[in-house]
This record gives sequence, structure tokens and C-alpha cells, in this order.
Amino acid sequence: MNNAVRSDGLVGGAVVAEISRREQLSALADGQLHGDEVADALAYAAQAEGHATWQLYHLVGDVLRSSDLAQPANPNFMARLRDELAKEGPVVRPAAAVVPQVDVVAPAMAEAANASVFRWKMVAGFASLAAVAAIGWTSLATLQGNGAPGAAGGAQLAISPESGANGPSSGAPVVAVADADGGAQVMIRDPRLDELLAAHKQFGSTSALQMPAGFLRNATFETPNR
Amino acid sequence: MSYPGVLCVWLKALPEQLKHGVVAALCVTGLSVSAGASSAEGGVSSAAEAAPAPVERSILQWIERMHSAPCARPYAGTFVVLAASGAMASSRIWHACEGAQQMERVEALSGTPRTIFRRNDEVRTFWPQSRVVRSDRRDASGLFPRVPLVEGTSISQFYAARPVGQERVAGFVADVVWFKPVDSLRFGYKLWSERETGLVVKLQTLGANGRVLEQAAFSELDLNAPVRVEQLSRLMDATAGYKVVAPVVVKTTATAEGWVLRQPVAGFVPVSCHRRAVSADDGAQGVLQCLYSDGLASVSLFIETFDPQRHPSQPQVSGMGATQLLAQRVLPDVWLTAVGEVPLQTLRLFAGQLERTR
Repeated sequence: MNNAVRSDGLVGGAVVAEISRREQLSALADGQLHGDEVADALAYAAQAEGHATWQLYHLVGDVLRSSDLAQPANPNFMARLRDELAKEGPVVRPAAAVVPQVDVVAPAMAEAANASVFRWKMVAGFASLAAVAAIGWTSLATLQGNGAPGAAGGAQLAISPESGANGPSSGAPVVAVADADGGAQVMIRDPRLDELLAAHKQFGSTSALQMPAGFLRNATFETPNR
Repeated sequence: MSYPGVLCVWLKALPEQLKHGVVAALCVTGLSVSAGASSAEGGVSSAAEAAPAPVERSILQWIERMHSAPCARPYAGTFVVLAASGAMASSRIWHACEGAQQMERVEALSGTPRTIFRRNDEVRTFWPQSRVVRSDRRDASGLFPRVPLVEGTSISQFYAARPVGQERVAGFVADVVWFKPVDSLRFGYKLWSERETGLVVKLQTLGANGRVLEQAAFSELDLNAPVRVEQLSRLMDATAGYKVVAPVVVKTTATAEGWVLRQPVAGFVPVSCHRRAVSADDGAQGVLQCLYSDGLASVSLFIETFDPQRHPSQPQVSGMGATQLLAQRVLPDVWLTAVGEVPLQTLRLFAGQLERTR
């Protein structure tokens, strides 16, 4: 369909632009936009047409989750909800702080194999939005009201184990390979680091706190036969 | 009562699983709990007001009390460790003392089956599946009945103790105390110390702004358990049918190995240096492990020859629970891995101060 549209020349160009803006909205829901793109997409969503598209996308997502939700949101209800929300006290969580976290997370899920299938894209959109929101939330606790350079570094680190595919059952830690500035870039797994972690835990724990055993904490990291 | 908080840490740390709407919804419920539980500053003030008379002790008094507690009574319990990454492990613990002898049995309830015995500074790990026993000797420092403090550290200079109130953990009333670090080079700790014995029944490691990085707690505890030293000792010595492995460890010093920290990292003093084979791949030389401690937190520096086959060209960073890791090339032929329960910036300081003397 896209090809046909593109061959139409000028008029088609406008349609293409329209489609790409909608795709941007979809990407926004996916948490895949950065910097200026976010601003562009938000500006489009503020227009009547973009707003309708945005609502439609959410409706699609709702329907995918449950057929009971197959009706557009009542505008009056939404307006009342917004008003009530506005009356709530200010939430002290800097929204801007979420964006750099998304930058770290995004490369891992930039292009899904099924990206071309619109329906799946919608599902993935809401799913990853939820994931990003959760990550953002956990990191915000660290970033909150703290401008110290050390704190920012800590937040990135906190991200690395959380955003990786490192389930509770896996043995090896997920490692973020840092660039020169210490920014996390690529996730890898390295059993060697796991071994050194264990050696530190077993011999390095001088815990004066006298939990049942210093090496107990290392149970979380231990792998067999070492 | 700590359960909702625990559940939440687990949930919010699992973005993979949040891809299901249901779990996401659960998490929202959990997050509100966590917001209260993990914010030490907020929690501290409100809890302190609620408590009738928080116990005032200096940080050294607290540590001394917690340290001698395990020998106050024999105990058995179930112990759960949770990292912010979602990793969780639980163990069954038996502990008893007799005179100067301290015995402990820890049976892992999650992961590979294994049982760890400790008799003073001697540690044996039984792997029943592979029929292997690994025998290690820890440095006796930090173990009862010696003074728990690492020589030269001044805990009170880098942490301040603040009573927070009282809470129940595993059925026991515990004094809650917050060890607040004075700088950003170390993490804070929140400890639940059983009121009568002083036993630490719960421990949280807190990052910047009171975020819980890792927590460990008894979910169930019996402070009148019929645990006897000789009984545990007999089990520890029952190695028949097992292959006993005792890795070679050579005690050394950083100076003897030709390494020095240009400047000490605030509050961290050298504790020990060993050469050991960490894995089967390590050559006869093994890896040099030098340990530093500020009395509560510790940092290991692993120094080995740079091997392009094994080591990446870029620095590596990693964090699991409260433990951070930094690995990088410090000299053209030297690979350093710094590991510790400290913020990453502290590890960077260590890496920057390391210098070869010959």
C-alpha cells in the first residue's frame, strides 16, 4: 500500500507525511523516540487529528486486552478525570529524568522482528511503555532531587541489571559495556565476572553487621562447582 | 509485614514480566507501597515520631551488640535475600556457639543444592549433586569472638547511627536503626536488630535517596532451636563419599606484588591480599585479590595480566543488588576488576589510584 501511495507524487507525499507522523505516535507509545522527535510527536498529538489518532491507538490497545473495552472513551468522563487529576497535589517526580533512561533501554528493543505487523506493533507499544514506565519509576527514586554527578552514574548502573534479559533464575550477571564516559551501551554476559563476584563475596565480606553469614548474601550470585 | 515491600521490589525490578498488563497493574499497587518503604528519609522521620522511645546507641555500640548477638542463643530460621534486580535466594540456617567456637549450617533452598558449614573461620561447601566438597579458610577477622572491626577503620567517622523505631520481623520485635553514610562513597544500611538478643533479623542496603538496593531478612526464626555445636560439627566432617577440593591460596601483600594506591580512598583501609585461582582457567599464577574495607563495606581489587582472548577492550560495569563491579585495563598489560558493595564512583576512585611500583 505504501508503494502505491508513494508513486502518486505530490498528493501522495502529503499522505506519506501523514503516515510517518502516525508512525511517530506509535513509536512514542513504544518509548522509541528521543529528543526533538518526542517534541514533534507531542506537537502532532496536540492537534485534533493527532489527538484522535492517539486515542484510537489506545482504543486498539484496550480492545486487544479485552473486548469489553471496545468502546471509545467518554469525552466527558475523560475531561472530569483530567480536572480531578489536576486538583491532586504536584507529584515530585521530574518527568525529564525519564528520557535519558529510555535512551539506555531503547537499543535493546529498537526493532522487533515483527515490527512491520501493525497489530503487534500496537501490542508491543503498550507493553514496552509499561516496561519503560516501570524502569523510569525505579530510577527516578535514585535521581529524585539529586544533581550530583555520582548519583547519575548510579542510576545508569541500576538500570543495567533491570533492563537486561536477566531473570531471577539466570546465573551470570548482565554486564553493561561502558564507553569512555561510563555511559552504558551494550549488554553482555560474562561468567568470569560472576566468578570474581563470588570470590569477593566469599573472601571479601568483612561484614561487621554479622548477618548469619557474610557469604550468605552471595547465594544470590553463586553458580555451582567453583 | 515486610512482605508487601518485598513483593514490590521484586515486581518493579522485572520489566520483562511487566509486558503483561496484569503484572503491570499489580506493580502499580506494589509501587505505592514501595514509595513509602524505600524512601528512608521519609520513613525515618515518621517512624521516629511514632516510636515511644527509640534506643540511643552509638554506631560502635550497635555493631558490638549485633556482633555478639548470634551467640546469645542457638537459632534456626529461613533467610531470604532479594536484590533489586529481582534475583532472590533463600536458605535454611542453623547456628550455635559453645565457648569460643561458632558453628553455622546454611542450606540453600534455591538454585543449585548445596550446604555450607562454617566452623569459626573454616568453611566447607557441599555440592551433593556432583559429590564435591570445597574447603576454604576465611580470614578470621570479623568473626566471633574477635572484635568485629577491621583495624584502622573508623566507622563512626563515615557513618552515623540513627534510631528509626521498632518493627516486627519474623514474629520478633526489632529495633530499627539507620546507618547513614556521611559521603556518597558508600551506601547506607537499615538494620532490624532483635530487641532482646540484638540479632540482625533484617538488613537493607540503601542507595542514593534511600532506594533499597538489596535486602535480606528472616522470614521465619526460632530463637530457642535445639541446635548443638557438636551435632553441626559432626555433619561438617561427614565428607565420606565426597571429593574434597581445597583451592590453593597464597597470602601476600600489595607492596610485595608491586602495587600501591597513590592515595587511600576515603575511609577504606587495606585488609588483606591473596593470590588464588578463581576458576580452572587461571594459570598457576592465579589472580591477585586485594581487599579494602571501611569497616562496613568492602572492595576487592582483582589484578591479572591483560589477555586479549578473555578481556574486552572496553571497560565493563555491572551492578547486582548492592554490589557494583568495574573492570578495565589500567595499564597496557594489566586488567583490573574492582568489586564492592559501594557506589560505582568509589570503584572508579580505586581504579584511578592504583599504581605499579615496579
